[in-house]
Amino acid sequence: MTQRRLSRRDFLGAGAGVLAATALRPSGEAADTKALRVRAYVNYEVLDPAYLLGAPEADIMGAIFVGLVTVKPGDTWGWEKDAAVSIEQVDPTHIKFQLRPGIPWTGGFGEVTAEDVKFSYERIANPANKSPYKGDWAKLDRVEVTGSHAGIIVLKEPFIPLWSTTLPRNSSLIVCKKAVEKMDGQRFTMDPGATCGPYRIKKWEPRLSITLERNPLWPGPKPPFEEIQGVAILDANAAEIAYEAGQVDVTHVPMTSVPRLQGKLPANSALVTRPGLTYWWLGMQMESGVFADQRVRKAVQLAVDVKSILEGAFFGVPAASTGIIAPGLIGHREKNLIAGPNLEQAKKLLAEAGHPRGFKTEIGVRSSAEFLSAAQVIAAGLAKVGIQAEVVPYDSGAQKAIASDKAGGWKKMQMHVVRFSMQPDPSWATVWFTSGQIGEWNWERFSSKEYDTLHEQALTEADTAKRHAMYVRMQNLMEESGSYVFLTHGVNAVLCRNTVKPALTPDGNNMLLRRFQPA
Amino acid sequence: MATAAAAPADSLAIPIDRAGRRARPLGRLWRDPLGRFGLGLVVLVVASAVGADLLSPLDPTALDPRLRLQAPSAAHLFGTDHLGRDLFTRVLHGGRIALGVSLISVGLALSIGLGLGMLAGYGPRWLDSLLLLAFDAVRSFPTIMLALAIVTLLGPSLHTIVLIVVVTSIPVYGRVVRTQTQALRGYDFILAERALGAGLARVLLKHVLPNVIGPVLILASMDVPVVVTIEAGLSFLGVGVRPPTPSWGLILNDGYTFIRDTPWPVLAGGFPLIVTTLGFTFLGESLRDIFDPQLRREA
Repeated sequence: MTQRRLSRRDFLGAGAGVLAATALRPSGEAADTKALRVRAYVNYEVLDPAYLLGAPEADIMGAIFVGLVTVKPGDTWGWEKDAAVSIEQVDPTHIKFQLRPGIPWTGGFGEVTAEDVKFSYERIANPANKSPYKGDWAKLDRVEVTGSHAGIIVLKEPFIPLWSTTLPRNSSLIVCKKAVEKMDGQRFTMDPGATCGPYRIKKWEPRLSITLERNPLWPGPKPPFEEIQGVAILDANAAEIAYEAGQVDVTHVPMTSVPRLQGKLPANSALVTRPGLTYWWLGMQMESGVFADQRVRKAVQLAVDVKSILEGAFFGVPAASTGIIAPGLIGHREKNLIAGPNLEQAKKLLAEAGHPRGFKTEIGVRSSAEFLSAAQVIAAGLAKVGIQAEVVPYDSGAQKAIASDKAGGWKKMQMHVVRFSMQPDPSWATVWFTSGQIGEWNWERFSSKEYDTLHEQALTEADTAKRHAMYVRMQNLMEESGSYVFLTHGVNAVLCRNTVKPALTPDGNNMLLRRFQPA
Repeated sequence: MATAAAAPADSLAIPIDRAGRRARPLGRLWRDPLGRFGLGLVVLVVASAVGADLLSPLDPTALDPRLRLQAPSAAHLFGTDHLGRDLFTRVLHGGRIALGVSLISVGLALSIGLGLGMLAGYGPRWLDSLLLLAFDAVRSFPTIMLALAIVTLLGPSLHTIVLIVVVTSIPVYGRVVRTQTQALRGYDFILAERALGAGLARVLLKHVLPNVIGPVLILASMDVPVVVTIEAGLSFLGVGVRPPTPSWGLILNDGYTFIRDTPWPVLAGGFPLIVTTLGFTFLGESLRDIFDPQLRREA
């Protein structure tokens, strides 16, 4: 086999050529109307709305599928009609919709019909299908098909989050019944069989990128970009370098990059920052070892200085949080029950619990800079009251596996720093801390009958003031248990070329790719 | 085979010549500029690790986020990291971890490798085959893949790193010692000793060990920087030493995260790795030149 050997001179020559080409290239060229290239911070693995894994996948789904309604880009949460020409809630349990006629499926599967809507929503709601999003349609009784393009969504009981987090998000995207029914297990990963959005899939390269192109069958206005490419770059530093090298036009950047970028932006770029909805907290499991004693957990709550965590781990960019529900949403608490750190009180509680000199423990975190830094600042704070906490980094999958280990592996991870993603309805946050989630996502193993009841009631409570009070009470219960120290909701920062007008969800977490425009 | 058999015999000349000639190799080491340089670097690294508390009074884990990512100054010789910790102090204390891990694990691997290698070389054929099979089985795994698998099973910690290094290094020492022992076992002085009724332990410890230990010691000294980089590499990947314990690999990783803000943490993490690697490699090569006359004659 002959192989051309690259000499050092060739290498330097080629490198100089690339550098010159990069330098000579007019900035902004990357973002013509031919292609929009966005960076994804995870690999694209699933395009099935019922089994979505990460936000970048949802962004792609939004471009290749339609839903009855869709989220409105901008600063405040709202929805607008998508495939529905009309949609209205006729009573608390009936939503009548009429589909726009003439939206064809790719691959010759006919038009998007009410049957497809019925299939898509009932597929997620059916517990046998084990969709992680079944909660979105938990109150769905059935979808009644009243005509080829008309139907009624019938709920078992009123479901308030329907209009904020179910209908405008991935759970309302419509998949092709005829195509998906033929698939093994009626689910798919990267080949949907048929799509119906303004863009269609051109090419998927596993662990690299996905390329979309204009869907020639799309009956609506021609989308502005000929192609959209999602490029998977998992490392944040590499993403910034790729942005500067002109390989992507839009990328999320870490919070810790914000002060530097605000000081000096790359040429022809803009930085969009939006307060996040996600919630970070320090959690303590409450069933085993020293943390089974509530006084120990309360001592930790009093020993942790949230301000110094935000300063150390996030460079002071985001504000401190007062719970799991972000400002602007129903149920947001004005303040925490615990006003601030109180080391004397913490030491007193530890002494009462039989640990006057503290104890040794572990903080399990995801192995990424922000989590590791946060945990190290927490450990330094806990050292002041004698608690020696070692930071144990895990892959995110391994951390979940340990925390939800049925054989008791969770006892190993006494404390954890976690961030959960969030949708603009408080029920999305509170659902993970119900007793039923113990062994799944309720890593603190927090169990409160009052909390569980309130969570169920709040889903159907139409009175906003009452609903608000319920969620405030639920967060009070969490804090009173001693197992939670709420840290922040974070900030989502997006670095974008001036030649592109981005369309983001109000929290900056999702890119509404269909709505991106050339500037 | 004649040269292979001659090598240990030649190399006996210096190590077992106990009659006051020990100063000569050291003198030769000092006369070799590369050896002197290597020895100097090794002394520097060891002294800075041992005297970390004297050289810097600061706490390597004390945080001060207000002083994050500072450039070097009189107060912070190497600057500060993203949590405002003094990088100079962390580098010094990181040296303790790096040298501690490498000396302990190389020492353990060497002892076990010596024992098993001598048994394989001197013992019955079936034992030799069995041990060789074990050595080759372990060596057939790529080190990093094996390391990642072990870390996944046992969780990241200092002990895990030591275990990985020991497990992967034993076969290397074992094989070298086995070959040398096999060459020695046919020598007249061994046969004479056996004819006089000496037991296995006496033959191995009194006669074989002193003759095989020289080359493996040199091998071990050259392995020290390899182990230092394994520790740093695993810590860099987040599967080694646990934060906030100072480790050169962790300093490098933190530095990499913030490399677009400041280059100093990366330099602070990389500099001691370079110094240690150069120091031990030069020293090892120089020692090999002195203690391995075969090689010296060829040179």
